[in-house]
Amino acid sequence: MVRSFKDILDKALLGGAKRLVVPCPRKEDALLLYEASAAGLIFPCFVGNGEAIKNLVDESPLAEKEYEIVKENDPHLALGKALEILHTHDGGILMQGGIPAHTVLHALHDKSRGMLPKGGIMSFVSVFPLLMGEKLILVTDTYINNHPTVAEKQQILTNALNLARILGIEAPKVAVLAAIEQVNPSIPSTLSAAILSKMSERRQFGDAIVEGPLDIDCALSRTAAERKGVKSTVTGEADVYLVPEVDTGHLMAEALVFFGKMKMLGVVMGTSKPVILDLPFVSLEGRLAQIAMACLLEGGDNPNG
Amino acid sequence: MIKTLAEFSMLAQERGPKKLAVLAPEDEEFMRAVKSGWDLGYIEPVLVGDTRKMEEVAEKVSFNIDRFHKIPQAGQQAISNLGINMLFSGELPIASKGQIPTSYIYRSIIREEAKAGSGMTVSVISFWDIPGMDHLVAFTDTGVNIKPGVKAKAEVIKNAVFVYHLMGYPRPKIAVLSGQREVGGTLDSYKDYEVLIKSADAGDFGECEIVPATSFTEIFLGEKTCRDGIADIQGDEVPHILVVPCLDTGNILCKLDFFLDVTRSSLVATSRGPVCIPARSDFSDNIVQQLAMCVVLADEMEKREQ
Repeated sequence: MVRSFKDILDKALLGGAKRLVVPCPRKEDALLLYEASAAGLIFPCFVGNGEAIKNLVDESPLAEKEYEIVKENDPHLALGKALEILHTHDGGILMQGGIPAHTVLHALHDKSRGMLPKGGIMSFVSVFPLLMGEKLILVTDTYINNHPTVAEKQQILTNALNLARILGIEAPKVAVLAAIEQVNPSIPSTLSAAILSKMSERRQFGDAIVEGPLDIDCALSRTAAERKGVKSTVTGEADVYLVPEVDTGHLMAEALVFFGKMKMLGVVMGTSKPVILDLPFVSLEGRLAQIAMACLLEGGDNPNG
Repeated sequence: MIKTLAEFSMLAQERGPKKLAVLAPEDEEFMRAVKSGWDLGYIEPVLVGDTRKMEEVAEKVSFNIDRFHKIPQAGQQAISNLGINMLFSGELPIASKGQIPTSYIYRSIIREEAKAGSGMTVSVISFWDIPGMDHLVAFTDTGVNIKPGVKAKAEVIKNAVFVYHLMGYPRPKIAVLSGQREVGGTLDSYKDYEVLIKSADAGDFGECEIVPATSFTEIFLGEKTCRDGIADIQGDEVPHILVVPCLDTGNILCKLDFFLDVTRSSLVATSRGPVCIPARSDFSDNIVQQLAMCVVLADEMEKREQ
């Protein structure tokens, strides 16, 4: 089982270096890309203004590494070109680069060049190593979907379970979070949690134990759960935390980083090829780990690939 | 200015004991907290509920409750109504929930506030005591309003500002939180922020300030793009009051203390005094802490009324 960012890195290296396509690369990403290249994870393929990219590379240690430049002087077309490259080559990873996140997500939906399988939805998983180093936990959706319906949550959860299995968690334990642990018709999150939990009972998520609704104290602590009369193997041992909506998800991910001093990496799930988005509160170490995570997904493990 | 939960405990010893209506103390952990509260001189309990059950549980934790006033009452809602009515009629300055679902307590408070014509919206304030930080940080509303609109949030802010003023903070800083980010359009929680910051500037909430930040990234990093500084962020950048988008977010965020190096303590602010609402998963130390906080705030409210 993969238990740490280092484990992700080690496992990703076994698959060899992957093509990382970066439209309109930014100067501030040069060090990260150098480190990923030097580690043997990637070889970058930059798409954009040839001269500007050459200058950027020459001013950084990237110059000594293998890289490729695909010229596209119009910045509005660089992302499309990057997607084209990914379409025409086997494998490859898309990195956000200098393109705004909403533009990237919009383009991924494009029917001809996008990367979203029909009927699928993209979701974002935040991965945190627990401070004692005993395992990784997954929190989702922390970025992409605002207020997912039950059907969308079903897919968000499927996406997260795919990731959990890639990380070697064979029968992931999932806490579907809500404000309270009882099913209360006035609180919609408790209803969708109960439905997902029932689906899991009927094995609609395969080998996984989905428990919900759980409030966060029951999810985090077996003792707290028992005092509230909640008996479940998920309490205190959840691998995946499914949040009700993005207000909770995004703020929770940030709270764990800023108040909890936890490291985070982010993964886009549901696309046919790995996509790396750049969230402002992910540290350099987390960003390197998310490149490694994308390499793992690209290495034939991507369930949508 | 009260900067830590420990200060509440110290002050509660000075200002107690205060009469406290305890509603259905039928759980060992809770009765242990009542015992500690009495031993420490914070409270003098008035025990409301099934007297046989409370005597049994008192015996289990070696607490002699013979000397205290006991009011026999059956039925969870009836117990709650009676205790909260005692608070609102001025019989005693604080009430605390025992083994009754919190929703019954909220219902009783809402009814009494309506009777009193106070216009006060019921909300829960959950404090975090973060080591090394120079002030207490509060999440609100973490218990009552499932999906508060901008009007309800305005009331939630007023309640929290009232409590921070009682704690000696002349001009608390507030962040109206939202999951707003670069993608996904404009969230309702962000639209609420845009309205509320104008109201705060217009003085609608009294002496306070809403900061121009709705996420922890904005609060801690601001315009900085240097992410390698994440590990070195300073806690004193955190506003005093964090208004959460909805109940799910509030409840989940404030109880991350199970994960983090922070201590949590919650209360309900009503127009007639604080109500202590320990969670069913709280342990006695934590409940005693919450009692101390209520004692001090009740004392401050009494002083203001005089």
